[in-house]
Amino acid sequence: MTEYLIRRILQSVLVMFLVSIVTFGLIHAAPGGPVQIFLAPGQSPEAIEVQKKNLGLDRPIHIQYIDWLTDMLKGDFGRTFKANQDVAGLIWPTLKNTIILMATSWVIALLIAIPWGIHNSTRQYGISDNIASIIGYAGMAMPAFWFGMILQITFALKLDLFPLSDMYDYGQEGNIANLIQHMVLPVTVLVLINLASYLKFSRSSMLEVLGQDYVRTARAKGVPEKSVIYKHALRNALIPIITVIGLDLPIIVAGAALTETVFNWPGMGRLFVEMAFAREYSVLMAITMITTVVVILGNLLADILYALVDPRVRLGARGGDAS
Amino acid sequence: MKRKWSILVAGALAMSLMLSACGGNQQNPAPNNGGQAADGTPVDGGTLTWSTSSDIVTMNYFFINDTASQDVANLIFAYLYNVDPEGKLVADEAAIAAELPEISEDGKTYTIKLKDTPKWSDGKPLTADDVVFTYETFSNLDVGSPAYANFEKIESVKKIDDRTVQINLKTVFAPFETSALYIQIMPKHAFEGLDPKDYVKAEFGTDPKKTPTSGPYLWTEWKQKQSHTFTRWDEWWGEKKPHIQTIVYKIYADQNTEVQALVKGEVDLVSQIPVASLAAVEGKKGVKLIEGPGPVYDYLGFNFSPDNWPDGFVPFEGIKTRQAIAHALNRQGMVDSVLKGHGTLLNGPFLPGSWADAGTAVNYEYNPEKAKQLLAEDGWVMGSDGILEKDGHKFEFTLQFNTGNKRREAVGAVIQANLAEVGIKVNLEPLDFSSWIENHINPGKYQAVLLGWSLSIDPDAESIFSSNFFPPAGQNSGWYKNEEIDELWVKGYSTTDLKERQAVYAELAQKISTDLPYIFLYQQNIITGMRERVKFADEDKPVLSLPYGESRHMYYWWLAE
Repeated sequence: MTEYLIRRILQSVLVMFLVSIVTFGLIHAAPGGPVQIFLAPGQSPEAIEVQKKNLGLDRPIHIQYIDWLTDMLKGDFGRTFKANQDVAGLIWPTLKNTIILMATSWVIALLIAIPWGIHNSTRQYGISDNIASIIGYAGMAMPAFWFGMILQITFALKLDLFPLSDMYDYGQEGNIANLIQHMVLPVTVLVLINLASYLKFSRSSMLEVLGQDYVRTARAKGVPEKSVIYKHALRNALIPIITVIGLDLPIIVAGAALTETVFNWPGMGRLFVEMAFAREYSVLMAITMITTVVVILGNLLADILYALVDPRVRLGARGGDAS
Repeated sequence: MKRKWSILVAGALAMSLMLSACGGNQQNPAPNNGGQAADGTPVDGGTLTWSTSSDIVTMNYFFINDTASQDVANLIFAYLYNVDPEGKLVADEAAIAAELPEISEDGKTYTIKLKDTPKWSDGKPLTADDVVFTYETFSNLDVGSPAYANFEKIESVKKIDDRTVQINLKTVFAPFETSALYIQIMPKHAFEGLDPKDYVKAEFGTDPKKTPTSGPYLWTEWKQKQSHTFTRWDEWWGEKKPHIQTIVYKIYADQNTEVQALVKGEVDLVSQIPVASLAAVEGKKGVKLIEGPGPVYDYLGFNFSPDNWPDGFVPFEGIKTRQAIAHALNRQGMVDSVLKGHGTLLNGPFLPGSWADAGTAVNYEYNPEKAKQLLAEDGWVMGSDGILEKDGHKFEFTLQFNTGNKRREAVGAVIQANLAEVGIKVNLEPLDFSSWIENHINPGKYQAVLLGWSLSIDPDAESIFSSNFFPPAGQNSGWYKNEEIDELWVKGYSTTDLKERQAVYAELAQKISTDLPYIFLYQQNIITGMRERVKFADEDKPVLSLPYGESRHMYYWWLAE
């Protein structure tokens, strides 16, 4: 286990290094730079040069990268070009806000989808299964921003039950009751969107297991149906579900830019989009790196959970590696 | 005010040139939906929520280059001089200057007297030192201010005494009054110990606690990407006091949400409601709308540089061809269908109704038959594929505009259809704003563009039409050259006499609209939405034809409950 973890961590460091090089290169290769947006039309070329120099953008790209990396390793995400703000100070609050919104939605979606999908697998094409299908298709087909606006118009404007947008009312920051009120609509959107795939996935993964020989054997032995499903089949069906959960973990931080935008949620997804338009390289790099870390952790977590669910998986044993 | 690219609302990234100002009878906003608000007695207190679609960049005035930052700066920094609704310079009760500047005989020396009362929010007096510091900083190339060009005409600035400043210009330059006297003054002591090239990194302007201010409101809180809070400064030195206790400047990522928040009453003021969202607010209880033509217009710009054309053949070379294009475009149709009537046709580079507009610009009515005839006179022959030809070249060009701007996308399609009718093939090319500016506009590399300007008060537009302002330094990105017009622009700003200037601009409008470096399309209306409870005296109402006119004198408004 220890050996396995060390190997994985070393791999992760390499992956992060590569991701950072590629992202840094891509961001700087994108046409239009921060100086272009910063400057006025008709600005003299001398002034542009002065500005580039002041912002450190006149140096060769590999030097800029090394500087960025050195600062990053020291825990300094840098500052924004335009307002000279501390990037970490800009990102952490939005990360927290995104996690509050996304984790809530994600957990609710899983808590609904997995039991429901398993239930549906035992009664294929029953009423419950059909309803789940309809909700699933609707969730996949509906654009988040559109559904969000429908909810806003219905429940915030017409019925006046919930606030239209934002995380808190002005002056209510930190008030949990106020926060929950504000979360109802965006969480509904996100749950519905995530529900679809988890429902389908848990149902089909269970169905596959139920069709296997050992389940038939169990039934033939006279094991009660409940026990067949929840004791024998479920454990195996959970393995692919756990994989998906682990791989999806990063959505908790990556956020949902569209939903955050419609509901004016001060999250990281929205920040990333805004900063991309503004070409704030240091913010984009920081968000990419944070997301990379979570992707790696999600994968690692999925592997570890495997081992817990399935004793046949032995982490670290060559050949038996589940990764 | 400054020249700027500004990112306007409506998802509309408009290129904007803030030209400088001076006088004029501009159109007053036409109240549309209960816009009469000059009622009741002012009440003190309350919180007004003002929405914005983007956060500010900085309050460090030397580097302000976006609409949101300037909106906010207008609440917290006093101006040296203000402008009245006609755009004329005034030394009013909120101005730092005590009286209008004294201009020397030769028109080159301005002597400015300051009031005794102005002070900074940290208690320090606001003196001639701050004024001199502000001018010196803007004109220092090391600082890298985007407004540097506005101060290039300054020869020297000197302090006569604590309350008097003298500015000497290199040449007579009429737009100077509103490009460089209608400015906000910055506190010298906030930059002490910093090298000018590090001013961009100053804490002043990013940390409210380290930003001494001089305007009616104090900047008390900045929650990144969420909101700003402004509190009435009870000891403000201005002679007329504000009423509203707190102003919240709230950032909305989505314009639909912003407009719905006005309907719900979570927002009191939306500076500019996009036409597409208008249906959501019209006739809604508790909401009033004020509409009027804004200082903005869109145009179809030609590129005359042979470098941008195959074999160096510029199809727009002939004046009759350009006039034919003007006749071929259904501009009224664009206003009616794309702007849904919320706009006005524009024929020349000056704002209709402003003092510079004498109505001399040529109006090209929509007439495809006349267009075909003019094209034939200019030597174009219809090819077998329905596309005009001349000297073996097909009449085909690529029209660029910024992607995501719904208005320009729709107008681009109308241009394409209108010109196809007369045998001109237009290929549409939407581009990302930032890379478009860098790769095409600044270096002047395109065939045609659909773009806009947002104008400030002074009519001078030499830097977009004169051949002395070719790329990359100038904004004449279409490489238009007409020596007669070049000279007229210079004549226009070389006298401070309003009558003389009017005569020059009357001639210019006529000449430019005949020669057509651009096809001027339309002026978009600005629609400001507010809750009924927002009240103001008649003299403090929004003046939509001025830059930032939606929130002009907002600090004198009050809230009725």
